[in-house]
Amino acid sequence: MRNAIKGLIGAAGVAAIGVSGAAKSDDTFTIGLLQDFTAVYTFVTDEYHHGQMDYIELVNQEGGVEGHTIETIVRDTGNEPQRGIEAYSRARDQGAVLVDFLSTPVSRAMVNRVLDDEIVMITALHGRGDASHGTTFPYVFPMMATYWSQAMVLADYIDREQGGLEGKRIAHVYIDSPFGREPVPVLEELAERKGFEFETFAYPSPGTEQSATWSDVRRFQPDHVLIWGAGGGQPVSVREAIRAGLDPADILSVVWMAETDANTIGVDHATGVKRFEAVATGTDYPIIERIQEEVIDQGLGAGSEDEVGTTYYNIGVATMAVAVEGARLALEEFGGPLTGEKLRDGLRMIEEFDAEGMMPPITITEEDHQGGGFGRVSQWNGEAWEPITDWFAAHQDIVWEEIEKDAAEFREDN
Amino acid sequence: MFYRLSGVHHTRYETARQIWPVPTDRRVVYILLALALAAPLYLPDLYLSSYVLPWLVWSAAALSLTLLMGIAGQLHFGFAAVMAIGAYSSIHLARAGVPFELALIGAGVITAVIGTLFGAAALRVKGLYLVMATLAMQYLVDWVIINVPAISGGAQATLNTPEVSFLFMPLSGTGLYYGALLWAVIVTVFVLNIKRTSFGRALVAIRDKDYAAAVIGVNPFKYKLLAFFTASFLGGISGAVLAFCYYQAVTPEQFGFNVSIQLVAMVLVGGLGSVIGAYLGAGFVLLAPMFLTNAVAYLAVWGVLPLSSSLLAHIPLMVYGLLIVGFILFEPLGLAKIYDNIRKYFLVWPFRHTQS
Repeated sequence: MRNAIKGLIGAAGVAAIGVSGAAKSDDTFTIGLLQDFTAVYTFVTDEYHHGQMDYIELVNQEGGVEGHTIETIVRDTGNEPQRGIEAYSRARDQGAVLVDFLSTPVSRAMVNRVLDDEIVMITALHGRGDASHGTTFPYVFPMMATYWSQAMVLADYIDREQGGLEGKRIAHVYIDSPFGREPVPVLEELAERKGFEFETFAYPSPGTEQSATWSDVRRFQPDHVLIWGAGGGQPVSVREAIRAGLDPADILSVVWMAETDANTIGVDHATGVKRFEAVATGTDYPIIERIQEEVIDQGLGAGSEDEVGTTYYNIGVATMAVAVEGARLALEEFGGPLTGEKLRDGLRMIEEFDAEGMMPPITITEEDHQGGGFGRVSQWNGEAWEPITDWFAAHQDIVWEEIEKDAAEFREDN
Repeated sequence: MFYRLSGVHHTRYETARQIWPVPTDRRVVYILLALALAAPLYLPDLYLSSYVLPWLVWSAAALSLTLLMGIAGQLHFGFAAVMAIGAYSSIHLARAGVPFELALIGAGVITAVIGTLFGAAALRVKGLYLVMATLAMQYLVDWVIINVPAISGGAQATLNTPEVSFLFMPLSGTGLYYGALLWAVIVTVFVLNIKRTSFGRALVAIRDKDYAAAVIGVNPFKYKLLAFFTASFLGGISGAVLAFCYYQAVTPEQFGFNVSIQLVAMVLVGGLGSVIGAYLGAGFVLLAPMFLTNAVAYLAVWGVLPLSSSLLAHIPLMVYGLLIVGFILFEPLGLAKIYDNIRKYFLVWPFRHTQS
């Protein structure tokens, strides 16, 4: 019985591949957006994916990349590695040259596969931080500040703008997962160098209940607190921090903090809270204006118009802007059709690219797939997230020590 | 007609006691086995490595769980943790230089010991209370894996499986598929036969009423622990096979609480205690979301469903939920019972009434 079904599946599959394979032509290339629309990452996926689709539509409307139209394969993985593997294998068979999972568990499970298949995987703001090590992970591109770089930017901000780090008490309050724990080693290293007291406090996943953790934090009496969570846990952290007597201006968040979180906390209540920002928020940027004009106003948008210009929407736009820039350089240099290998080399040629002012100028090289680790600090002013610093990167020597160490471990394993 | 019974005379006890006394059943199994063995020849890689391979491994895991839940009647809601222990033990053992064959057995033994420790709760509590105790196991194991970098594999919490060979065959390419198939066949044969042994009958007696079993001389203490030991042993190796043959890189999320629930769903949707049910249940829970996602995506590409990506992504969930409710309403005993009904219909076809 089961293998009879299997045979039918196989036959149907052969037919499906035959149909899709035949349609492939030289003047298109395919990217797979195989993301988590239904499980853990829903707080970001909708807006992020919307931004990606709108930007791709914009590029296609403007004549494509060097005359090449971009096609997309969109699938839900539900944050489950087995569904990610299936979606990835299917996208690979349909000729995808780039995949984006926007899910740390799925991306981590997929590293060896993309390295073997020579398909570019972008892991902006998720996945393995040590994938910044380009020679070890030639096909993985974090392309934005890793969590290590984010922690360093926030700490450096305290050091320069909030009265120095020396002698301070810094609390790191995080969701009890590898993601929450990730910045701990770099912060410990910095604590040693700068002479501040550093203490970590974990709360259990999913973070809707954190009161026990925060009573410990209160006992520690921190001067500043870094909150390292995502989704529903973030507003809870901010509320608890304020309840613990912290000035909102002393609460600094990882990149996962958006307009919706500020609304959940209460727009006035959240005033003063700071966050790391990888990509500018808002609609006053040429790319977003063109999207509005050529995509949204033409009724070609991939989602609700309200999402245009939000934090995660712009991050989505930026990831595709970098990918398209890499594809453009690759096609210019090597000509079509685009392959994973050409795209990799194209991405590595990116120099001082800032998506027309939307993001920090990043430079990706063969060694550095992180692009420099830039970011800035922005603050909720009651209505919007307002940048309060310029783009900068901090303590990249500490970050790279960590990258080298983990990448060396990965090389040893393989 | 399809299941011809006339002319099949059992003249010896051995033939009457075969696993499949009806010749047609036996032939179907042989054909399926031949199809499975030849699968790499006719199935494209996508379907072999992304559908059939995980299906086989998850079926083996569901069989291990159905042994515990269906045959021995002990509920277990932390079976993903059992598989996690097996996966992590096997990888660490293989990395320490232990030959893969021994690493698998070692992983099974380690898992069995830890699983039995938690299973000891079954000596005092039953039903929903046992569910709570096993849930505790799930969370404890998760916590330990996440909080001990030596187990989870450092800051990135990812462990790559080392290159290994199984019985002098390197485990790669189609070798991965045959590894999974071999394990699924071993577990299937084991579970099929366990019901025919005194051990299996003791487990069934415990399931039906443990003090009644004690009265007729079955020691509940011993057999409850043995049930946990056996199921954890098989589950641990299934976890190891899942890690080596399928994932090849292990992260804690692969064995989270939701996976435990999926395993329980596989066993329940398939049919408690049924072998074919474990295959059908694993196939349904594992593969239905993939098929539905792809079906909806193709409908969207053809312009039949002009909706946003995020809304599209939720349609398979709704259909999936409806299917589960539908199956349970239509046949509460699971997919295995549906198969059984069909088989019984054809057993006497073209006549209407079945005898059993």
